[in-house]
Amino acid sequence: MENTIEVKNLTKKYKNLTAINDLSFSVKKGEILGLLGPNGSGKSTTINCLLSLLSYDQGSIKIFNEEMTPDSYEIKRKIGVVFQEVAIFEELTVKDNIDYFCGLYIKDKNTRKKYIEDAIKLVGLEKFKKFYPKQLSGGLLRRLNIACGIAHKPKLIFLDEPTVAVDPQSRNNILDGIQKLRNQGATIIYTTHYMEEVELICDRIIILDKGKIIASGTLDELKSLATIEEKVSVEVQDLEEKYLEEIKKLKYVDLVTYQNNNLQITYKKGQNNISHLIDFFNKNKIAYNKIFSERPTLNDVFLELTGRELRNE
Amino acid sequence: MIIFKTFLKILLKNKFIIITYTAILIFFGCFNTQTNDNTTNFSATKPDILIINKDENKGLTKDLITYLNKNSNIKKIPDKKYSLDDALFYRDVNYIIYIPKDFREDFLANKNPQIKIKSTKDYQASLAEMMLKRYLKTATIYHSEIPNEKDLLESINSTLKVSTQIQMTTKLNTNSLNKMISYYNFANYSILAGCVYVICLILSSFKEKSIRKRTIISSLKSSTYNLNLLLSNSLFALILWIFYVILSIILVGNAMFTPHGILLIINSFIFTLCALTLAFFIGTLLSNKNAINGIVNVIALGSSFLCGSFVPIEYLPKSVTQIAHILPSYYYIKNNELIKKIEIINLKTINEVLINGIILIIFILIFILLTNIISKKRRDFSYQ
Amino acid sequence: MRHNFKYTLKILFQNKALIFWTFAFPIILGTFFNMAFSDIEKNEKLAIIDVAVVKNEKFENDEFLKNALKILSDKKNKDQLFNIEYVNQKQAKKLLVEDKITGYLIVTNKPKIVIKSNGINETIFKYIIEEITTTKKMVNIIANNRLYKEIPTNKISNIENFYTSIYKKILSLKDESINIKDISNKNLSYTMIEFYTLIAMACLYGGIIGMTAINNNLPNMSNKGKRIAISSIPKKKLLLSTVAASYLVQLIGLILLFIYTIFILKIDYGDNIFLIILLSLVSSLAGLSLGITVSCLIKSSENTKTGIILALTMFCCFLSGMMGITMKYIIDKNIPLLNKINPASMITDGFYSLYYYDTLSRYTKNIISLLIFSIILLVIATFCLRRQKYDNI
Repeated sequence: MENTIEVKNLTKKYKNLTAINDLSFSVKKGEILGLLGPNGSGKSTTINCLLSLLSYDQGSIKIFNEEMTPDSYEIKRKIGVVFQEVAIFEELTVKDNIDYFCGLYIKDKNTRKKYIEDAIKLVGLEKFKKFYPKQLSGGLLRRLNIACGIAHKPKLIFLDEPTVAVDPQSRNNILDGIQKLRNQGATIIYTTHYMEEVELICDRIIILDKGKIIASGTLDELKSLATIEEKVSVEVQDLEEKYLEEIKKLKYVDLVTYQNNNLQITYKKGQNNISHLIDFFNKNKIAYNKIFSERPTLNDVFLELTGRELRNE
Repeated sequence: MIIFKTFLKILLKNKFIIITYTAILIFFGCFNTQTNDNTTNFSATKPDILIINKDENKGLTKDLITYLNKNSNIKKIPDKKYSLDDALFYRDVNYIIYIPKDFREDFLANKNPQIKIKSTKDYQASLAEMMLKRYLKTATIYHSEIPNEKDLLESINSTLKVSTQIQMTTKLNTNSLNKMISYYNFANYSILAGCVYVICLILSSFKEKSIRKRTIISSLKSSTYNLNLLLSNSLFALILWIFYVILSIILVGNAMFTPHGILLIINSFIFTLCALTLAFFIGTLLSNKNAINGIVNVIALGSSFLCGSFVPIEYLPKSVTQIAHILPSYYYIKNNELIKKIEIINLKTINEVLINGIILIIFILIFILLTNIISKKRRDFSYQ
Repeated sequence: MRHNFKYTLKILFQNKALIFWTFAFPIILGTFFNMAFSDIEKNEKLAIIDVAVVKNEKFENDEFLKNALKILSDKKNKDQLFNIEYVNQKQAKKLLVEDKITGYLIVTNKPKIVIKSNGINETIFKYIIEEITTTKKMVNIIANNRLYKEIPTNKISNIENFYTSIYKKILSLKDESINIKDISNKNLSYTMIEFYTLIAMACLYGGIIGMTAINNNLPNMSNKGKRIAISSIPKKKLLLSTVAASYLVQLIGLILLFIYTIFILKIDYGDNIFLIILLSLVSSLAGLSLGITVSCLIKSSENTKTGIILALTMFCCFLSGMMGITMKYIIDKNIPLLNKINPASMITDGFYSLYYYDTLSRYTKNIISLLIFSIILLVIATFCLRRQKYDNI
């Protein structure tokens, strides 16, 4: 499959701080690539460099097999960007905003008209066409922000944390929209620090930390990096100390904690871990209430790779 | 107390903009008192004239110049391309007299030589023209009788020497008084702009929707809250006032400690209170931070122009002063002008000043009342 | 780039604060100016002065003085100078205290004038009384001269007729017979300067329009700018259409101001409409370039930039005479360089030279200075704007 984006050895320094350190990656046509990382890990800087907004110290960037420069208008025509910050005109209505930004790409009025309707439908702002941004709620504003970025039907879309501080309904709407765009054939780069979103929609993921790629691959590939396989939590009343020791000795068990009547067990590997555990409880006549089993999350992967939580909230 | 603390914090945060604003006001204020020039000051009794003499400086010509020199201020301006006309336009001189070549000879030969003049056509210019005409007239009349130049000049001079005895009744030091009045009239603008700008700025911070909501649901009584806010703002207004008073003492000097000066200071204090309550009222009415700058300029400049802060009140058209009656600035400036005219301060002479003071106080009460009504209404409507 | 041009117009006209400062504020200020200054020059013309004369025996006996005052206070006389009340001394004092009169005349051995303080009316009062005395003295001198010459020849038959003839001769010498020619320029109304500074202010405030529009287009200034920068429109085209739209908005504002000042406030800009338009175009360009330069040189919020332009404009206008007309003259005379680099002064001076002078050399000089000012700023701005990539956003 051909690559839409090729980044080689990208480095960007701000005075003393190295924001991006020797970054190389590629994005395949038609995929949704997730750029995941905590705040300040260099996600937005990477995107701004890709877009030729920021100068960089080293490296090369190719988009659609061509060198990306500020004058690469043919490349730019095929790109759509949704920035982290809401970038719209307070002075224009919802429809005028979309029309303005779309008009920077598409000259033909009739095509534009159709495209604007499509964009409005995509983000679900049909009822608000004549509203001014001031009258919109935060979530609706974000949706407008997205519509402005993708109205010209770009082949390559950058989405920089489009869901920050957005209500669940708008968020679902936005995520749905992104998948629709992909289905229409767009390549998407999606940055976020919400790993749930990445798990939900991304085909491939790059995890950034301190300007470096610390892991990349499909969701499953990344999860296999984690040494743990399964997390089980059980609600147990007053578990005796000696059972705790015995649980630790069960097959594949890695770690056991017991706090506030909540027993947490992580397994390195293995199948039917839960049934073994239930057998153990039954054998020892221990009463238990709820049992959950979880697969490891990207947060766990990140935690293992860096020793820090992905979200320090 | 907590409100006052917050008030100070906001004040400090905006210090740069406040300092800039005050600096501009002071700069303008100082300049205004210093360059109190001929556009407003009519007490000069000698017109400023300029003589361009192409004739030889002797005999009759010399005598004419000497005469003019005695009765007017002769300006010396280098005769560059535009300098003379500029000087005339900007009233640096009121009257330019071009004495032609051979003026003396032609005059003595009864040729009636022409003198060209340029005039600003105002009081001063009229005065200068009267002088010139008087001299020429006298000379013409005598010349028909006395052909000898020496005798002629003697007769002219003995005639023009005549002066009328003048008795002045006023004992006021009009010079420093004028300076004081012009400073305090300008202070109308400084005080209004300063108070309204800063107080609106601070109130708008307090009134930001989320903050306002929070204060309304807090356990603080709304009247206490308003009172605290008013007191904090009063402190600011007080500091501003003291500042301007000190500045006036620096600029005018000891004259500020005369009864006239004290009266002016008291008058400005009442006006500061009025500006404070007006600012509070506008601040309560206004919800848009961006609008502050515009409102301040319109109110402060408007009041100043209409009430005679920049242009002496007696030179304003009647219709304008009629409108000005609805503005507090009018009574403040009127009082300044009244104080200027009082010779001996006693209850009888000060009567009118007191009435204007009371009107200012009524304005203060009206503004407080309006503020309360509005802030109550606002609370009921927006956040039920 | 008609699309961007159209939308820039739309965006600018929707910005209420912007429209206030650039459209409404100059008009409001102009109205204030008009209210304050419309009468000031009228007041400077010689008005009829209220005076009093103490009616005592000495005055009644002085026919000469009595007659002269009668002529000067004659309401039918178009050169009437005085409004005279003939009262006793006590009443005169009272009138003076109550400010009903400028002063009063009392004849004791010589005429004496009692006034309150110095002033132009007082001076004129004194001057006229002196003139009357002078004339009286003149009659005497001439009479003596003639008597000295003529008595030996015995030509004088009637001494009274003799004096009357001299007096008549003096009176017959009217002002017109004195050869004075007024060559003043016809337009002398200096309050016009106020309105010229107002136009200057409006032109420079217009810079805010350009500043706002450019700000929207720069990636390092606003988020909108980022979005625009990554679009497929070449930057040059985009900026040009934005600047053109700002200039148009600016000119619309200026036209409104001109219409208002010319037709409602009756301001006189001189007669040459073409030159007025040229000067307005160039002045607006100076404001525009100021706005653009501030926009790309200073990296801070839009409000701060607006503040900077407002303050800068006010200061420039102050120097060019907005807060006191003579300020410009003082600066021109003492620190001419300051006004040569002050755009507000160049604009004001341009209108002034159109109004006051018949020649165009000074006007042309101002136009050229404004163009140079604009070009320098635009070159600086172009250097900043040519940057495509930023170290920092």
